[in-house]
Amino acid sequence: MKWGKMNIKIELKNIFLSYDHTVIFEDFSMQLDDNKFYTLLGPSGCGKTTILNLIAGFIKPDAGQILIDGIDVTNIEPNKRLVNTVFQDYALFPHLNVYDNVAFSLSLQKISKIEKKKRVMDALNFVNLGEYIYRDIAELSGGQKQRVAIARAIINQPKVLLLDEPLSALDLKLRTEMQYELKKLQKELAITFVFVTHDQEEALGMSDYIYVLNNGQVMQKGNPIDIYDEPKNRFVADFIGESNIISAKYLGDYQVKINNDIYKCVDGNFNQGTLVDVVIRPEDLKIVTHKTKLKVQIITRLFKGMHYEIVGQDISGEKWLIHSIKNVMPGEEVFLDFDPEDIHLMSTNV
Amino acid sequence: MFKKISRNLFLTMMFIFLYFPIFYLIIYSFNSGDTMVSFDGFSLKWYRELLHNKDILIIILNTVIVALISALIASIIGTLGAIAIYQTKNKQKQNILYSLNSVLIISPDVIIGISFLLLFTVFAIPFGFMSVCLAHIAFSIPVVVIMILPKLNQLNGNIIYAAKDLGASEYQVFSRILLPLIKPGLIIGFFTAFTYSLDDFAVTFFVTGNGFTTLAVNIYSSARIGISLEINALSTIIFVITFVMAILYYIFEIRGGKSKYVKNN
Repeated sequence: MKWGKMNIKIELKNIFLSYDHTVIFEDFSMQLDDNKFYTLLGPSGCGKTTILNLIAGFIKPDAGQILIDGIDVTNIEPNKRLVNTVFQDYALFPHLNVYDNVAFSLSLQKISKIEKKKRVMDALNFVNLGEYIYRDIAELSGGQKQRVAIARAIINQPKVLLLDEPLSALDLKLRTEMQYELKKLQKELAITFVFVTHDQEEALGMSDYIYVLNNGQVMQKGNPIDIYDEPKNRFVADFIGESNIISAKYLGDYQVKINNDIYKCVDGNFNQGTLVDVVIRPEDLKIVTHKTKLKVQIITRLFKGMHYEIVGQDISGEKWLIHSIKNVMPGEEVFLDFDPEDIHLMSTNV
Repeated sequence: MFKKISRNLFLTMMFIFLYFPIFYLIIYSFNSGDTMVSFDGFSLKWYRELLHNKDILIIILNTVIVALISALIASIIGTLGAIAIYQTKNKQKQNILYSLNSVLIISPDVIIGISFLLLFTVFAIPFGFMSVCLAHIAFSIPVVVIMILPKLNQLNGNIIYAAKDLGASEYQVFSRILLPLIKPGLIIGFFTAFTYSLDDFAVTFFVTGNGFTTLAVNIYSSARIGISLEINALSTIIFVITFVMAILYYIFEIRGGKSKYVKNN
């Protein structure tokens, strides 16, 4: 890890947490850098929201330490922590209007009315809701509620903003729009964002850094490109994007045996004869007219707009997912080709 | 067709069995004669007599004071109780607490009355204003809890977290978030507790003493001595007040039902 000590914003050290006799984290640690957009990605139940709750202080670990800015906050109440949260269902106060919702944290402090109004207006303008200050919460659309929730969370200039699946309740178009806005917001505020999602597309699009989680453990961490191109194991490859995962054997000397055929590859960090999992992304499989080692019969074909999603089956019964703009018919037999660099080898352990 | 007939039958029966005796009693409160046997003519004589009956006026005052005090204290304790049940994290424990609360509402007044009688005797609490107040507070608390809990359960669960996250202390979460949101339930709870106390006979009958009495108990004892139409006049007044309270209750409930304080999505 290249991070200097000074840059670490949040640190979770050896966290142990159990709930109702179920262990959620066993010796879990992570370090989050300053001014970065982090995403905690994983299926439901992987512990991603629990990590947010630990940082926010809603949950206390059974053992371990949580540090913010190098200060141990493990036993500090949530209202004394310099982090703020945007909740999945917004959790706006229904009895207060937009202005009072955003002003809530300021109204708990001794701040003059003029100053308060200025800061509320700044926050609302920041999220493009300047005209809605006196609206009732019930009158707002989902996207507007989302913005109010963000304005309310950033008004106190937190050092860290925690976002718990904030886009999941929005429709696709608005979600895409908000992804750009959140990314922009993080750049403008220049603080650490910790974004929780189960949507790999959101994660890949927005993050500087992704933690892929499963069962309370970090499966892989890294920037989106590394995670997509070089998944460490079957779980990550399966969870991030679509992929063909095939059991294979590394023969040494940059050669891998897949279904009795030998292919060249560029990964070589394995011992000769090791059993490996091979990942080939569906968009890397090309339907070609010349004869290759891999012949498949098309089983299904689904139009996806950008491309066709095609499933083909080879002689050994292995199914291959292909993304292609070529229109092939079910029943047709075609040859597939791919380049050595499209083959990614993963250890079968983990 | 059958539905219509059965509904009409129900309404007729309800009217005959429940309202007819009350109307009979009300009509005779305006009787110029002395008995409920024959109506001798319209008169406000019994109301006039009632107004000049100092004993009765003091009892009315006692009853209202007990009702106000017990409803107020029960509302405070009931609110805290409802929040405590709502915030109980263990679902099983929460269900047990909720059931224990509900049992108190449906258990017979006589049993509650007797148990208070025993309790106050054991702890040597003098029977009178104090004991009646304590008993009324106690049986009103579950009612308040049951009126407030649904309001809490309606809330978005993250609201309390959100308030804390934004810097609110436990007290500020209560005063700025929870209290305004449960207000409709609290008001209905207060009114219900008030009416429960106002017309309670069974429990009060067991725990009162030393000359202290409430209206319901007093009517019972005077009815045993012999019916005076003064009681009819008094009952009429109580009925009218109860009727008005019931209407107020529904107005509040309808308004509470239309409340916009529901979950965000």
